[in-house]
Amino acid sequence: MASGSDRVRFNVGGKIFETTATILANAGRQSMLGSLLDEFWDPRQPAGGGEYFIDRNPACFAVLLDLLRTGELHVPPNIPERLLYREALFYGLLDHVRAARWGPFDGNLLRPAASVPGRAPGDGTAIRAGPDGGCCVAHGSMVHVYDWMLEEHRPISLDYQQVNDVGYLEAQSIVVTARERLGRVEGGMGLFSSSTGELRHRFRVAHDDQVKSFTAGALSFSNSDYKIFASCKGRCNEYGIGVWDQNTGLQVDFFYEPTGCLLGDADKLQWLDGSNCLMVATLFPRTDNCFIGLLDLREKSVVWSWSDAGITTSLDDKRVVHAIAMEDGRSVCVVNQYEDLGFMDLRSNAGGVRWSSRSKLMNRKVPDEESCYPKLAAHGGQLFSSLNDGISVFCGPERVLTSTLRGSYGGSICDFSIGGDRLFALHGDENVFDVWETPPSPIF
Amino acid sequence: MSAQKKRNFKIEAFKHRVEVDPKYAEKTWKILEHAIHEIYNHNASGLSFEELYRNAYNMVLHKYGEKLYSGLVTTMTWHLKEIAKSIEAAQGGLFLEELNRKWGDHNKALQMIRDILMYMDRTFVPSNHKTPVHELGLNLWRDNIIHSHKIQTRLLDTLLDLIHRERKGEVINRGLMRNITKMLMDLGSSVYQEDFERPFLEVSASFYSGESQQFIECCDCGDYLKKAERRLNEEMERVSHYLDAKSEAKITSVVEKEMIANHMQRLVHMENSGLVNMLVDDKYEDLSRMYNLFRRVPEGFSTIRDVMTSHLRETGKQLVIDPDRLRDPVDFVQRLLDMKDKHDKIINVAFNNDKTFQNALNSSFEYFINLNNRSPEFISLYVDDKLRKGLKGVTEEDVEVVLDKVMMLFRYLQEKDVFEKYYKQHLAKRLLSGKTVSDDAERSMIVKLKTECGYQFTSKLEGMFTDMRTSQDTMQGFYASQYSEMGDGPTLAVQVLTTGSWPTQPSTPCNLPAEILSVCEKFRAYYLGTHTGRRLTWQTNMGTADIKATFGKGQKHELNVSTYQMCVLMLFNSEDCLSYKEIEQATEIPASDLKRCLQSLACVKGKNVLRKEPMSKDIAEDDAFYFNDKFTSKFIKVKIGTVVAQKESEPEKHETRQRVEEDRKPQIEAAIVRIMKSRRVLDHNSIVTEVTTQLQSRFLPNPVVIKKRIESLIEREFLERDKADRKLYRYLA
Repeated sequence: MASGSDRVRFNVGGKIFETTATILANAGRQSMLGSLLDEFWDPRQPAGGGEYFIDRNPACFAVLLDLLRTGELHVPPNIPERLLYREALFYGLLDHVRAARWGPFDGNLLRPAASVPGRAPGDGTAIRAGPDGGCCVAHGSMVHVYDWMLEEHRPISLDYQQVNDVGYLEAQSIVVTARERLGRVEGGMGLFSSSTGELRHRFRVAHDDQVKSFTAGALSFSNSDYKIFASCKGRCNEYGIGVWDQNTGLQVDFFYEPTGCLLGDADKLQWLDGSNCLMVATLFPRTDNCFIGLLDLREKSVVWSWSDAGITTSLDDKRVVHAIAMEDGRSVCVVNQYEDLGFMDLRSNAGGVRWSSRSKLMNRKVPDEESCYPKLAAHGGQLFSSLNDGISVFCGPERVLTSTLRGSYGGSICDFSIGGDRLFALHGDENVFDVWETPPSPIF
Repeated sequence: MSAQKKRNFKIEAFKHRVEVDPKYAEKTWKILEHAIHEIYNHNASGLSFEELYRNAYNMVLHKYGEKLYSGLVTTMTWHLKEIAKSIEAAQGGLFLEELNRKWGDHNKALQMIRDILMYMDRTFVPSNHKTPVHELGLNLWRDNIIHSHKIQTRLLDTLLDLIHRERKGEVINRGLMRNITKMLMDLGSSVYQEDFERPFLEVSASFYSGESQQFIECCDCGDYLKKAERRLNEEMERVSHYLDAKSEAKITSVVEKEMIANHMQRLVHMENSGLVNMLVDDKYEDLSRMYNLFRRVPEGFSTIRDVMTSHLRETGKQLVIDPDRLRDPVDFVQRLLDMKDKHDKIINVAFNNDKTFQNALNSSFEYFINLNNRSPEFISLYVDDKLRKGLKGVTEEDVEVVLDKVMMLFRYLQEKDVFEKYYKQHLAKRLLSGKTVSDDAERSMIVKLKTECGYQFTSKLEGMFTDMRTSQDTMQGFYASQYSEMGDGPTLAVQVLTTGSWPTQPSTPCNLPAEILSVCEKFRAYYLGTHTGRRLTWQTNMGTADIKATFGKGQKHELNVSTYQMCVLMLFNSEDCLSYKEIEQATEIPASDLKRCLQSLACVKGKNVLRKEPMSKDIAEDDAFYFNDKFTSKFIKVKIGTVVAQKESEPEKHETRQRVEEDRKPQIEAAIVRIMKSRRVLDHNSIVTEVTTQLQSRFLPNPVVIKKRIESLIEREFLERDKADRKLYRYLA
């Protein structure tokens, strides 16, 4: 480089590009362009007309250079995404592309980005968003894994075991819980690689130092003290919540089900960081009597619980079909089969459900036979609820309905998940999932 | 296509993709291998990064990742083996420098290799569960250099030798040490721990075990502690300069164990310089050092505390049972207070005001103060002394300080009721003789006793104050009513004392002179006139009188005497000579008091207003007394004191003790009844324990006495023994 000027010239596949070292430094030391100008390598201008020759596609280089210059990604229609991704991988700029691809999550700004048809027959069990924008879909005994480019990887196959729940431990690792297979002492929970689909670790449950087979249900992770929780049922009435260490994969605890609290069959587990408690919800239609409880695993006690045993009698009554603890950890939000939202105060044991009429989506209409029960999610202070083929977004302290997301086809939504700044909605009828993302911030 | 072919439908064998060039992979690898060689040979300037990157990319893309990776391992291993040889060849002191230099080279090379192979690191490595290039480079370095047979022990020996030399006072290259230990840490905490830290701790342990042995033979305790402290600081400094921060706790615990824990007992008991000497000589700095060092080791504190406690108990015991000390109660208490102050200061300055040490100090004082059963009396005497004269001209705050200190000693007393007895006596004397310096100080002391022991403890003391006040009012009223009739007669000042509040001894009143008697009768008439249903008795043994006397040559003096003395002297208004018998008959003063009174009038030089035949110190029954008209004094006012023992005499002491025992009986009985009333049925031992706890704030009841009281209560049918179990008592309501 000439002194006083940090200009750099590239010849990429015959086309000349000129930029500055400062712009290239944006690429970072972990990329090919960043390393190229590192002091370890000869800092003098390269021979051959003072330019670096790179034997790659010039059109893609132009897009990527522009990305480094402005932080924005503009892909001309003549460049297929896959080509761009491949070139970005060569330069080590894939993370930059992903970061520029979509903006920070906001339920009211979401736009449909893609619709990915699934291959598996039958109803989907669950869809989970990964931390980097990928997702995985559980169908029967298979888990299909997609990275953030929505490229499908080798699926995780569980050899005819029914998958109950899946979850990303990190972008590279997926935990899968499955129904126990009769006649085998192998447990119902494993850690798989998201890129290769290989089994990396099998989680075990031991009672009195004896390893037992079990069926694992709902999953939750605690990222503050690196624990994995799963509802478990063993064959010899060993019902409860298993706890494993995320780093070692070893069982560290088991919370046995006290009488009156349904834990082993739970539909939903959720770790609450603020109060160091685990929310456990076992709901209709899995059980006739819904149970929601808050467990303190260190004290081995149920610190808060609610049940509708004795309250509901007929099938037409309002039943809690899904529940989530709100992000502030003070209340639990529940939804019934008519998509009424309800709230329960976690700080008092007496309240019961406060059904909120304001946030009711529409006039009560009895869902048709084919529809799925509503599900709930909370993200960034917004509350999401699915019914039929749409997802409603509620905002503010009063939970006012602000947006409705509706995909093009595929029937009612059986599950949805938010993560990696994206929302994934899995449709029940056609095995299609929609990807919703927030567009990058406006230019001005 | 023919129809036949159409029918015989056949699946074509899958055609493998055409290999570009069978030697492609080999060629490409050669280029990369060459580049790695050049990088290690510091000859990278001719290399094109772009080309190398592209080659590595292509190899991975064309599924030769495995070949690339294994080639890297082989090539790097070969270079590291070469490097190992050159490090091994380094002479003596250059060894570490060579190692450090090569480590720097390797890191740089590793960075460049990683740059070239970045694509492999990103795609091939994670999906094939390989070790990433950087980590691989560190592992290979560890296996080929650090764990190489010839380097491993040499490295350790060199490091330990350098540290040893630094401990001996030499200056070493700390920067180099820092780099080498940093390298070990970079290779993983287990490498640092196994290859350096563990042996380092072992060597340090033996070094300090030897050194401490040497120090303890030739140093006194203070010096030893200084040295140990310095060593400890040196090790902490060493860690901060060139070891892993996690080593600090480990190495300090080695030093603590070797230099302190192992020699603790010997240090504490070291002759002429151990803990006891430090305490005696107030060596705050040494004590503080000992405290801070011993705090680091288990049982360090308890060792100091035990020695301090036994020292305190020993010296305290000597103080309280030393017969010399018992002669002067004020000095006795002052010494206790000084001792307390001294040790309070030590605990405050050197021992960080540690609660456990304060407790040890308190329990020691409690132990030895109660060894002497005259302590309550002495403490009361000390207060008496202070309140009589000791506090003249002292500010209010200082008075409070002195009283607070006394209260502290008071708290240690077990027999608080004995103190109360004496305090009452001494207070009575002070009040009646008008000797108290400050009413405020008196009251403040009573308030302190009240907060400490409760209302009932001080109610009688307060009663005494009330009596003093009402007496003043009564006297004013008396003189106001009698003003017209009084004339020139003697002035009478009466203090009316409530029976029970005051420590009065029943005494037969003496015969008062006629002049006085008439005034007394007037007062009696006045008092009984204003208060009905009361009885007045004269406590002639407690009063005082001022009389005017004219001696030879017309010399006039005002004599300040006790009531008894006044009675005796008044007799000499009409006679010049009286025999002992005559005086006794005329006055009816009890013999012992009379003797004392005559002694003070006739035998004290400068105050002998009487003359005695024969001249001798003691009073005998057949002595004769004359008015001494040769009496002279340069003072107009002459105070003739009675010969009174300040301290109690042996029989008096006995008497007080008996009275205390007598007073305790109803208290014990009351406690027993209180307990039994609530519990109904209780066995003997439980009663004893409960009574003891209830009365602890006043005194420690003797179990034998408790048993006697129980028996007495059974006799009086408050209690009965259980018919089935003789050990059980039953409350009879």
